[in-house]
Amino acid sequence: MKRFDWTIFGLLVTLMVIGIVSIYTASSTRIADDFLFNNYYLKQFIWIIISMFILFLVIKIPNAVIDVSIFPVYIITTLLLIWVLFLPEIKGSHRWISLGLINFQPSEFAKLFTILTISKFISKPLLSDGQILLRAFTVTLVPIILVMLEPDLGTALTFLVILFSILLVSDLPKFYLILIVSPILSITFSFSIWIFIVYILLLTYLLYRSNLDKVIIGFVIALNTFIFFITPIFWNNLKDYQQNRILTFINPMRDPFGAGYQIIQSKIAIGSGGLLGKGFLMGTQKNMNFLPEHHTDFIFSVIGEEFGFFGCTFILLIYFLFLYKIAKSIRKIKWKEYRFVSVGILAYLTFQIFINIGMNLGIVPTTGIPLPFLSYGGSNLLINVTAIGFILKYLNERSIFA
Amino acid sequence: MYKKITISDYTRYVIIFIFVILFFFVLKLQVIEGEKYKDIAEKNIVRIQTIFPTRGEIYDRKYRPITLNKPSYNLYITPGKIVDREKVAKFVSSNFEKDISRIEKIIHDNRYRSYQDILLIQNIQFEKMVVASEQLNYFPSLLFKIEKLRDYSFANHFTGHTGRITEEEYKELRGNGYSINSNIGKTGLEKYYENILRGTNGQQVLQVDASGKNLDFFKHNLQKPPQRGADLILTIDNDLQEYVSLIFPKNYKGSIVVMDIKTGGILAYVSKPDFDPNIFTGGISTKRWNDILADPNKPMLDRIIHGTYPPGSVYKPILASLGLEEKVIDPNTKLTNCAGGMWFGNRYFKCWLEKGHGRLAVENAIKYSCDVFFYDLSTQFSLEQLNRYTKQNYISTRTGIDLPGERRGFFPSRKWYIDNYGKFVGILGHKVNLAIGQGEILVTPLQICAYYSALGNDGVWKQPHLLDKRIEVEKTYKNIVGEKQLPISEATLKLIQSSLYKTVNESYGTGTAASIGHIMVYGKTGSAENHMGKKTHSWFSGYAKCDKFEIGFDVFVENGGHGGSISAPIARKLINYYYGIME
Repeated sequence: MKRFDWTIFGLLVTLMVIGIVSIYTASSTRIADDFLFNNYYLKQFIWIIISMFILFLVIKIPNAVIDVSIFPVYIITTLLLIWVLFLPEIKGSHRWISLGLINFQPSEFAKLFTILTISKFISKPLLSDGQILLRAFTVTLVPIILVMLEPDLGTALTFLVILFSILLVSDLPKFYLILIVSPILSITFSFSIWIFIVYILLLTYLLYRSNLDKVIIGFVIALNTFIFFITPIFWNNLKDYQQNRILTFINPMRDPFGAGYQIIQSKIAIGSGGLLGKGFLMGTQKNMNFLPEHHTDFIFSVIGEEFGFFGCTFILLIYFLFLYKIAKSIRKIKWKEYRFVSVGILAYLTFQIFINIGMNLGIVPTTGIPLPFLSYGGSNLLINVTAIGFILKYLNERSIFA
Repeated sequence: MYKKITISDYTRYVIIFIFVILFFFVLKLQVIEGEKYKDIAEKNIVRIQTIFPTRGEIYDRKYRPITLNKPSYNLYITPGKIVDREKVAKFVSSNFEKDISRIEKIIHDNRYRSYQDILLIQNIQFEKMVVASEQLNYFPSLLFKIEKLRDYSFANHFTGHTGRITEEEYKELRGNGYSINSNIGKTGLEKYYENILRGTNGQQVLQVDASGKNLDFFKHNLQKPPQRGADLILTIDNDLQEYVSLIFPKNYKGSIVVMDIKTGGILAYVSKPDFDPNIFTGGISTKRWNDILADPNKPMLDRIIHGTYPPGSVYKPILASLGLEEKVIDPNTKLTNCAGGMWFGNRYFKCWLEKGHGRLAVENAIKYSCDVFFYDLSTQFSLEQLNRYTKQNYISTRTGIDLPGERRGFFPSRKWYIDNYGKFVGILGHKVNLAIGQGEILVTPLQICAYYSALGNDGVWKQPHLLDKRIEVEKTYKNIVGEKQLPISEATLKLIQSSLYKTVNESYGTGTAASIGHIMVYGKTGSAENHMGKKTHSWFSGYAKCDKFEIGFDVFVENGGHGGSISAPIARKLINYYYGIME
């Protein structure tokens, strides 16, 4: 363990300890001078122990063993994603598989194994650009489509972030990324002609600067203009409830009884925490149960209410150091496949942290994405810690490939 | 010198950028706007309030009320605001004549629901409310609300009643929009159609602070109105129901069911003694409840579907049709001579007529209700055959009426006898007894009524039901029920029908007391011996036809005596009345 990265590991443990403390208070209720406690923090503790075990297991397993099992496990998780669609709904979607004592989301496993599978497939030598694109897209689109059917829009977006981040560090010319991203932006901007014109001009300039063939530039611009015209037609063909679902996703305030209400309550909880917070276990908003599930998706609001601005800043700082250290270390991993994996994991963790805290602060859409390492939840914690296990493993073994 | 920017640098910039944004918004919420949110938090301003819907009402077939909502003054308590628990409980119990221990129990059970209003007493008299209101400022935890309560038009067993949700029910149902103060259907139609009657909750977002200033978090959709529960239109005819309830002999127990044989819709549903469901709506006192439970006449028991009894001779047409269908007998076959009884092994089975009926064919055997004929006929069949055929006629099996907790009744099997009487039980003796509807067989009055109605409806058995249609918002939904064919051929049916007609309309038939000049009345009497009393249960069941109105009926009087002398005259009265009001 000479090269073991103790800084990353130490920050990981710190986050999980903060998680236990937060879950302990988030799942307590104060009644007059009594407190009622749920045993979520104990369950989380057991999951931490299990996750730690898996983390060291990942580090110890030979690469050859992992290499042959990646694709079969990817297939298994895909089958689980299909199976979960046939299970009864829990809270309005088909996300959970229940195994008596524990429930888990197969999409959690799918995230990690999609990262591993894409990286393995596109790091093979002598691949053409087309082959890289085809492989990466196929591997990602299968889980995206299945997850959309659950429906779980937040997780589907996570897969897109993973795909994009890995393609970004691959050998693929950046032009392709523009090709992939520009239609998505075109859809977003097609609601205002003026924004769209500015966007098209910027795009043309960017493509022009990339020294591309004029024919290709013309094709990209034509494609995006076409999308601009076709989007409103698509939109008008959607059913009312479908339009509503999308609009509410973008602007939760449209739904004062559901997502909007949760965001307002989360903002009130965090805001009322002020500079110093109301103190451990003393959050009034939490105790009155305005927010459901505050030990999972809305745990940041409990931290904000009880530990205040200083508490929030401290947590942001730990997360920042953790991610920054990983980002800095990735450079040291020379082996292409392992670098792809690490970048994918980094992007996926960063995205989830941003989306979850952003949701608690009311600045991004509500999705069912928990806060990595802090939120209560077994399968989520297990996968996140295992993912860090892979990064630590690659950093550990880097001398072999350097 | 130009330094190449690497991917690793890009990712670090992205991470820095993201955390700067998050930090900025934390700063904005907690430091810049902290005071504003502290204020909102302290005053609990932004809340979702549930608006409960009005429960659907229940009407008879001519849209006359059976169950309505009436305003009620209810007393609530907020546990978090209680100053002195004992004083509050004492005040409430002395002002509203309630058991102090019950009041204390409600307060104790809800002690953790600090900020919820908990229902203490329903249906308070206006005068009492006025008196109590004057002292309410000494008890900040108490408040009155005007809400809606059920009001039942008459005593009956089918509407059932609503009641306060119990802790157990609440635990199970709170995900479905019930509150701890909800009233929920406990019995009868109120329970069976709970999901239709209750409607859908509405919601309202409160975002106005104490000074009335709107906080403007949400600009639109501030109210989702509740949707009223559906109104039920029953097949019951209030006039007939009331009349039938009146003609039932005083101080007797039993039931009368009348149904439309074409549809299976129940026109009158009377079980005696009965009780007024309104006693439950105000929260019944423990004493009253115990009195009702201890009453030996069991007024709460719905004898039509929750009581099971031996059918006696009203069972005989089933055995007769089995004999004809299996070609064991034909319409002219005369069985053994009835000399007042018959020997089976060393046991003598008596006919009800001591002097005997002589040798009879099936039609007269039904008309005179000769026991010996049916004793003899039953020996031709195995017990399992009898069991199967009885159930194929929907006797001793649930009818599926739209009421909760219907009993199945009972018809024994060979295995049952062996389990209960040992290996060497004499099945024959038991079988002979079953042939005349005695012994272990148990039926509900509703099953008998449905069977005779089916005989009157060309053998088509219609599922008995109370709901005719429900009205939801502006749409009417008809209650569509199933129908089944009795296992009986047309020829057999004709013969059974004619023997039922002769029973009522020819001299010396057992049911002549039900005969009415211009109306075709068909029926069968039954006098079932039982362990409940010395006198037999008195049955009279059948159907009546005149013009396009065709009704099936069953009159059952517990330990009333002979079917022909007690129940048949009641049937006659109700048929007369029915055709009187229909004309």
